[in-house]
Amino acid sequence: MELFIQQLTNGLAIGSIYALIALGYTMVYGVMKLINFAHGDLFSIGAYLGLTFLISFGLVDKVGAPVAILIIMLMVMGLVGLIGILLERVAYRPLRKADRLAAVVSALGASIFFSNSLMLIYGAKFRVYPHNLLPKSYITILELHIPVVRILLLLVSFILMACLYLFVQKTKTGTAIRAAAIDQGAARLMGINVNKIISIVFFIGPALGGAAGIMVGLYYGQVNFLMGWLYGLKAFIAAVIGGIGNIPGAMLGGLILGVIESLGAAYISFAWKDAIAFFVLIVILIVRPTGILGERVAEKV
Amino acid sequence: MKKFSVLFFFVLGLVCVSNPVLAKTIKIGLICPLTGSWASEGQDMEKIVKLLAEQINTKGGLLGKKVEVIVEDDGGDPRTAALAAQRLSSQDIVGVIGTYGSSVTEATQNIFNESKIIQIANGSTAIRLTEKGLKYFFRTCPRDDEQGKVAAEYIMKSGFKRVAILHDNTTYARGLAEETKSLLQKKGLNIVFFDALTPGESDYSPILTNLKAKNPDVVFFTGYYPEAGLLLRQKMEMGWNVQFIGGDATNNPDLVKIAGKDAAKGFLFLSPPVPQDLDTKEAKDFLAAYKRKYNSLPGSVWAVLSGDGFLALTTAIKATKSTDPDVLANYLHNKLNLSGLTGQIAFDSKGDRVGALYRIYRVDAKGNFILQ
Repeated sequence: MELFIQQLTNGLAIGSIYALIALGYTMVYGVMKLINFAHGDLFSIGAYLGLTFLISFGLVDKVGAPVAILIIMLMVMGLVGLIGILLERVAYRPLRKADRLAAVVSALGASIFFSNSLMLIYGAKFRVYPHNLLPKSYITILELHIPVVRILLLLVSFILMACLYLFVQKTKTGTAIRAAAIDQGAARLMGINVNKIISIVFFIGPALGGAAGIMVGLYYGQVNFLMGWLYGLKAFIAAVIGGIGNIPGAMLGGLILGVIESLGAAYISFAWKDAIAFFVLIVILIVRPTGILGERVAEKV
Repeated sequence: MKKFSVLFFFVLGLVCVSNPVLAKTIKIGLICPLTGSWASEGQDMEKIVKLLAEQINTKGGLLGKKVEVIVEDDGGDPRTAALAAQRLSSQDIVGVIGTYGSSVTEATQNIFNESKIIQIANGSTAIRLTEKGLKYFFRTCPRDDEQGKVAAEYIMKSGFKRVAILHDNTTYARGLAEETKSLLQKKGLNIVFFDALTPGESDYSPILTNLKAKNPDVVFFTGYYPEAGLLLRQKMEMGWNVQFIGGDATNNPDLVKIAGKDAAKGFLFLSPPVPQDLDTKEAKDFLAAYKRKYNSLPGSVWAVLSGDGFLALTTAIKATKSTDPDVLANYLHNKLNLSGLTGQIAFDSKGDRVGALYRIYRVDAKGNFILQ
């Protein structure tokens, strides 16, 4: 039982990261019906930018670690969001009327471009975040060791996700995003600037991905230029499990995938961890191709 | 006339390409992971081999010709490596140095052997690479059974009873893990855990949680340094104190950077000695030259072993005054006895390096690797 609960918390921690990244896939898919394969690399850009800001401005000494991390996180989110908008302008907008496959190929190209740029700028070696920024303590409940950082990680993810959910559900822009997701043509007829909406989506998705990147950097301490690929893939699976195009689905899918992975690893075999993740993907695609929360097809995003 | 001159240059070109004696330079290939997750090893390999080639060229080259190093990136991936090997084979090289990972080298072995090109691998320790009877294949690194033996002896000598073995399913790590496991089981030790992790991830707490539940005295991790660093760090964050021992692929200063000094302290690993720990003249001169040119020190012993491969090949060319692969292979198998960057270098009939190389290192509180 102790092992089970410990593994559950392990799964929730990594699952909340998957969920944050999955949101980017799902939002873009919801509005544009495009799988943005460069999304994983935007996540690694976030991790690297976070590292650069952390070690170059000396903010940590001036305002203390918690405030510095908050400021840097907002800066990273903004910058990665801007890169996302740029990516859409350069790589996807010219292909909007083209075959869907063309945009997917363009996305893969952008992914290779980003990961190799990171390698050329930062070098091929693993880069390491400064240690001792986050509290090292852990809470002990009934012989369970739960690091405080892990709870913070979950908390921050949930706050970000809640903000996004409220934004999409309650604001005028959010309504416009949902309208564009349902029918771009009709949305345009209603006076919605679809290009602007797409830009907003390409800002929010990558910004969340960038936030996930800096969180991974802070929590696990190590970043490398290829990390986006694996995280991107897992988050993509999470998005499909939850129902791609559906925001609560992406959150649920991420958490479910994280938990399945760590429980599968614990009770079946570690070596089969990825196989288990993909097996779940296949089962979902056969049994429920729209994903767990996919029944509300009319209200994607 | 124009047609004729085109034909003339074409024929001239063919002659130059197909006949090494007429070629202006002696071409030596280097296949290494310049990109991919082992890129830091590959980039060091390139630096080292180019430095040594430069040194030879300033001393007048080989057989009166300049040495030219032709570098191909294998991306740390067997498929990319096979393509790179084919490209190299068509460029009239005398021999090739590399590469790092065993599964990657394996994809290139037959390609080079069929083209009668001498290959000297530097980081590929999987046993079966030299059990295939390939005449032109050599390696400057030791084999996993050698390492497994040293690991098993050390674990028994230290009095550990409950042993956990963790690998990462690569050819190399799995081979070493299985070798060590069978040696320990023969001696009656209790293997309480044997499984693999997936390299390239950042969260290994599920594995550590399960490992801890098995309550081992010692964990032997046979994989590479990025994962080892994360394991050490996450182990400390769990508040778990258990001795970790690493295989030779954990020998990289980045291990300490990833784990942090607190978490890396006390970590033991097996490795051939790094040049910094050798007091031979060759090792010292090489390190000084490397520092002058690149203003840093080579990261790990594996990249340095590519330099030894290069020295072995060029020594053979010089001694035999030939670039014929059969003559060179014969010399390397039987006559070579070179004082290299990592000690004496000689090859046996299989192409394996002769002599015991492995030592035990411990990471101290400052993150330095101390030879035990």
